[in-house]
Amino acid sequence: MLRITAQKSLAGAKVSPKHLFPIFSRSSTDVAKKPEKIEVFIDDKPVLVEPGTTVLQAAALVGVEIPRFCYHERLAVAGNCRMCLVEVEKSPKPVAACAMPVMKGWRIKTDSEMTRKAREGVMEFLLVNHPLDCPICDQGGECDLQDQSMAFGSDRSRFTDIDFSGKRAVEDKDIGPLIKTIMTRCIHCTRCIRFASEVAGIDDLGTTGRGSDMQVGTYVEKFFLSELSGNVIDLCPVGALTSKPYSFTARPWETRKTDSIDVLDAVGSNIVVCTRTGDVLRILPRINEDINEEWLSDKSRFAYDGLKRQRLVTPMLRDACGELKPVDWEAALLGVGKVLKAAGGNITAVAGGLADAEALVALKDLVNKLGSEAVCIENSFPLDGSGTDLRSSYLLNNKIAPAEEADLVLLIGTNPRLEAPLLNSRIRKGYVHNETEIAVIGPKIDLRYDYIHLGEDPSIIRQIENGQHAFVKKLKSAKKPLVILGSDTLSRSDGAAILSSVQSLSRGLQDEMCDPEWKVLNILHKVANQVAALDIGYTPDLSKICESSPKVLYLLGADDCGITRADLPDGCFIVYQGHHGDQGASIADAVLPGIAYTEKQATYVNTEGRAQQTLVAVTPPGLAREDWKIIRALSEIVGAKLPYDSLEEIRYRLEEVAPHLTRYGCAEAANYFCEALELGKKTNAPIDTSPLDVKQKTLEDFYMTDVISRASPTMAKCVAAVQKQNLSKY
Amino acid sequence: MASQAVRGGARQVKPLLSLDNEEARKRALNLYKAWYRQLPYIVRQYDIPKSVEQCRQRLREEFKKHECLTDVRVIDMLIIKGQMELKETVHVWKQKGHIMSYFKPTAEPKPTDFLSKFLQGVN
Amino acid sequence: MPKDKLANVITTYITILDSFSVNFPNTFDREIENVKMASVLVRFSYLTKNQLGLLAPLANSAQVCCYSTPPGTPPPQTKTKFGPLCDEDRIFTNLYGRHDWRLKGALKRGDWYKTKEILCKGADWIINEIKVSGLRGRGGAGFPSGMKWSFMNKPSDGRPKYLVVNADEGEPGTCKDREIMRHDPHKLVEGCLIAGKAMGAKAAYIYIRGEFYNEASNMQIAIAEAYQAGLLGKNACNSGYDFDVFMHRGAGAYICGEETALIESIEGKQGKPRLKPPFPADVGVFGCPTTVTNVETVAVAPSICRRGGAWFASFGRTRNSGTKLFNISGHVNTPCTVEEEMSIPLKELIELHAGGVTGGWDNLLAVIPGGSSTPLIPKSVCDDVLMDFDGLVAAQTSLGTAAVIVMNKQTDVVKAIARLIMFYKHESCGQCTPCREGISWMNKIIYRFVDGNARPDEIDMLWELSKQIEGHTICALGDGAAWPVQGLIRHFRPELEDRMKKFHEQQKGQHAARN
Repeated sequence: MLRITAQKSLAGAKVSPKHLFPIFSRSSTDVAKKPEKIEVFIDDKPVLVEPGTTVLQAAALVGVEIPRFCYHERLAVAGNCRMCLVEVEKSPKPVAACAMPVMKGWRIKTDSEMTRKAREGVMEFLLVNHPLDCPICDQGGECDLQDQSMAFGSDRSRFTDIDFSGKRAVEDKDIGPLIKTIMTRCIHCTRCIRFASEVAGIDDLGTTGRGSDMQVGTYVEKFFLSELSGNVIDLCPVGALTSKPYSFTARPWETRKTDSIDVLDAVGSNIVVCTRTGDVLRILPRINEDINEEWLSDKSRFAYDGLKRQRLVTPMLRDACGELKPVDWEAALLGVGKVLKAAGGNITAVAGGLADAEALVALKDLVNKLGSEAVCIENSFPLDGSGTDLRSSYLLNNKIAPAEEADLVLLIGTNPRLEAPLLNSRIRKGYVHNETEIAVIGPKIDLRYDYIHLGEDPSIIRQIENGQHAFVKKLKSAKKPLVILGSDTLSRSDGAAILSSVQSLSRGLQDEMCDPEWKVLNILHKVANQVAALDIGYTPDLSKICESSPKVLYLLGADDCGITRADLPDGCFIVYQGHHGDQGASIADAVLPGIAYTEKQATYVNTEGRAQQTLVAVTPPGLAREDWKIIRALSEIVGAKLPYDSLEEIRYRLEEVAPHLTRYGCAEAANYFCEALELGKKTNAPIDTSPLDVKQKTLEDFYMTDVISRASPTMAKCVAAVQKQNLSKY
Repeated sequence: MASQAVRGGARQVKPLLSLDNEEARKRALNLYKAWYRQLPYIVRQYDIPKSVEQCRQRLREEFKKHECLTDVRVIDMLIIKGQMELKETVHVWKQKGHIMSYFKPTAEPKPTDFLSKFLQGVN
Repeated sequence: MPKDKLANVITTYITILDSFSVNFPNTFDREIENVKMASVLVRFSYLTKNQLGLLAPLANSAQVCCYSTPPGTPPPQTKTKFGPLCDEDRIFTNLYGRHDWRLKGALKRGDWYKTKEILCKGADWIINEIKVSGLRGRGGAGFPSGMKWSFMNKPSDGRPKYLVVNADEGEPGTCKDREIMRHDPHKLVEGCLIAGKAMGAKAAYIYIRGEFYNEASNMQIAIAEAYQAGLLGKNACNSGYDFDVFMHRGAGAYICGEETALIESIEGKQGKPRLKPPFPADVGVFGCPTTVTNVETVAVAPSICRRGGAWFASFGRTRNSGTKLFNISGHVNTPCTVEEEMSIPLKELIELHAGGVTGGWDNLLAVIPGGSSTPLIPKSVCDDVLMDFDGLVAAQTSLGTAAVIVMNKQTDVVKAIARLIMFYKHESCGQCTPCREGISWMNKIIYRFVDGNARPDEIDMLWELSKQIEGHTICALGDGAAWPVQGLIRHFRPELEDRMKKFHEQQKGQHAARN
């Protein structure tokens, strides 16, 4: 498995200067000497750069973009496409700008005769064997080769040999249900290979053969299955790797692009939703250095076809025969309103993982107005001690981006690879470039990096807390330790004890930290709005619902809470409000169709406490209405009118409840770590002996975790592919 | 000075057609009669699902709608418009739908409160 | 000229080079010796060409020793006749395998004689002796070995240093290293020890190509013998210096002879050249400082140390000193590998050792003087060219590995070059674009040239293509493929045009006959 040791990188292996800079800067803190900047000239424009900067980066500083195919700033430098050749004065041959560090006083000419000739030559060579099938190529319009051949290529062809021998042809590979390969188009930039081995940690991709017989592919017939595999589609500069679900659907200039937020995990990746005529055609990542860099997990990228299936498009009421019958909104609201009024405060509301902050606050306000305090969320969270009162107990306090700087990561009862693939890629980045050590308490899982498996027994946490475990020494010696506690662990019956134990062990480490900004304690959630719900004041205790025997159970997109009719008293009226006909809708007496994240402007808070908003990309299907508006309308019917009519007004209400919910893009840090610990200590509950477990263990469990991905045929194909792969001998 | 200019302006306003109310009244009656006489032909020519009687009813309604008008210039303008309409109708420059749109029931006012907006799906 | 003065010249030259390299590591890139497939003398010519300006002020400054002649020109030659080499001056005394190649025989021939004393004199002494000898890398690029070895003597940062011996002799026409390895393996083993000591290496890796089965077997036996005799391993030769020698057999790819590809291959990866910088002297095999040298360079080191650098420098012209193994193949009466003095005239070399060209000297068409990647030279040039680095650069070719391929007038020279290009096409690693796509394109074109099925303006296009490949690739394989084509076009353009004319006339005739 690829791992660039720090020693090797320190020794000047200029594999990836970008990744090395933090290492250099950190190692040089004790030296406290900043390297002197050197002056170089790009097209006679002087620029001061750090030593070790490549020609390409130096040129970027003065706004000169040097064409490239193989170079990618987040991957190691390969230097094999030779497109970035530039002339350096006094050098007899052009240098590869992506790999060559600048030297003092260099005069780099990015538009000289020699440079232009070199580019033209390389471009000509690339096109020798590249099929001219742009009209049927999905990359058309966003193809680097197309664009750069327009800008830097020759204006006429000299390739007379096509009359004699034709072009190279390569057999296409079947690498899974997500990525379509047309390998004849490949220009061997090896970006996909480097992504797979460096970022995804899957060494399945590589080259075989040499010379003009060189092929990129999996060495044996095998699927390229990774939770991040879709990113190679974005990385591929040509149409060799394209999206299978998106193939032949649209050209990039036909689509409308809406910036939005992904809600299928708790990371809150930034995305661009590409739509045309009311259809979501594809989802692409949007760069956000604090969250997802420019990657996106496969579920977030490909589950969008679930948005068109299993949708609830009309309100429904269960009739006398027990059948759910479509009705109009008026009837539905009146029907539900009558029951709500009759319930007289004996109402319980459960919010699911995909509900937005606006709907959450509206539902809470409504239920409270009707005289009930029972608003809870699906995923349990210990309420003992400080419970959810102090945010530090339920946030990924150290944020996502700094995870790559950690030198020791302790994962407790979590599988970040499947629960938050992009956080896992950060940890892996630290593992590859920064010699991060990782330890796991919980089941043995495949994280795509080596880790120390401390065991499955939760009592190990206590042992570490008390300093009895051998691992403590490592923890103590770490400069930037990170403890990440999974939300699966917290829904255990002894969740409170584990949380308080982890809090106290983190406190012990935190006290020795010299950097006050570095937070040791981190909780990793699995669903998009858990933090928002806790911020707004939902109680995370599902078990009480059944005990309280409510007359009305209001499910707001709650499909995974596992409540069945049998758990509820007879005559309990279940209202389901959500966008997919899944578990919740099947047991409901009334169904109110809400809308999905691509259809609304709504607030989500990710696991690090960062509020972000989705934007409207497509119109809702059928009679589906925005969730908070349904609740608002219902409130008027039941005579407990909520005081907001527009988005601004409800956001004002959000701000009243929790001001950070409308500070979009900012991650509101938590505090009161000590107080949370003190309160937690009071519980003093024992830890169970049952081993720690995570729900998502293998890649198979990754693809279908919520109503959208469960409705997605692409995700179903992925699961089938993983199962097929498991049967394969490779 | 200024008031003089305003008064002068008011006095010197140019009439559209009629010089006084009487003349305007005559013109209105003439227009009414012209429409009235043409209606049977219009009904036949456009093959609309309305009887001549219904059309006359509608014609009366349309004129009654403006019976309170006193400003000669406004009346004249409406007469001109009416004449144009008549000409277009008689020459079959219009289509059936245009004629039927005279009989369109009054548009409902747009919902203003939250709930009715919600029920209609306009917000 | 006095020997010490000569040494001074060389050191001066090296200092200048050194200073240049610091400012301009890119040229350093060009100077790496061990690209055995790429005789990189043309690159060296770059250096001289570009450095003239730089050399002048430096050489004239008071710090360095000055000469009345402008720098860059070789100092006056005291010797005018080079070769033949007399038997007592031969280094490889068992080149033809007539004697015992094992340790016993090697000891008889003087190998391992006072190796301990040489080691005890220390790294600086060895490097100085190599610098005095003027030894230039024998793998093709001709980079001064003393300087290259001295790059390794930087203060250690804790990483071990390694010597890697490039025994992946893949250049078509070259067969010198295999003779050393199968008939005189102890020369190489001892050379490893001495060169290793000079650069403070912990171990030497001998990367031998997979096809050399017998050679690898002999080498392995020699290494084992040396270990058993206490000449290697812990406290090698009782000198207190620990040194190991490992053999690594390649799987037979020409590109693995490129130093960074060789390093990758030793590490167990695909043999694809790495980007430079970082150079192997910084980050080489297993991430540690490494020097990659050719077998012959290493194998002559013990003899230089024993007989003195000045002795070695007394052969050949200044800056091209020493003895060299020449491989003569092709249309000669007795093809052979022979050790000769540098700067021996080509004609004398062929007549004396290879029994002359088949059909007589006048039947000579062209000679490829340094292995397949060097441009060929026609007979007119062959008549009086001297076989050394500078002499061949002046003839727009290069000494390379000194593998002389002789072609007489019965040769289809276009087809011969086409076959070479096919070789390069087959051996291109496919990593970088110009080499991968360019060479297969050149191959297509030149095979049409063999038949004459092309237009005369395509010759210019081919020239341009070769220029688009040359210097635009990561390693020198692209250059090595471009040069034979350039040599062909430079010297045999009329031949190419003739063929095209004939082909088109024939076509026309056939066309007329059909109608």
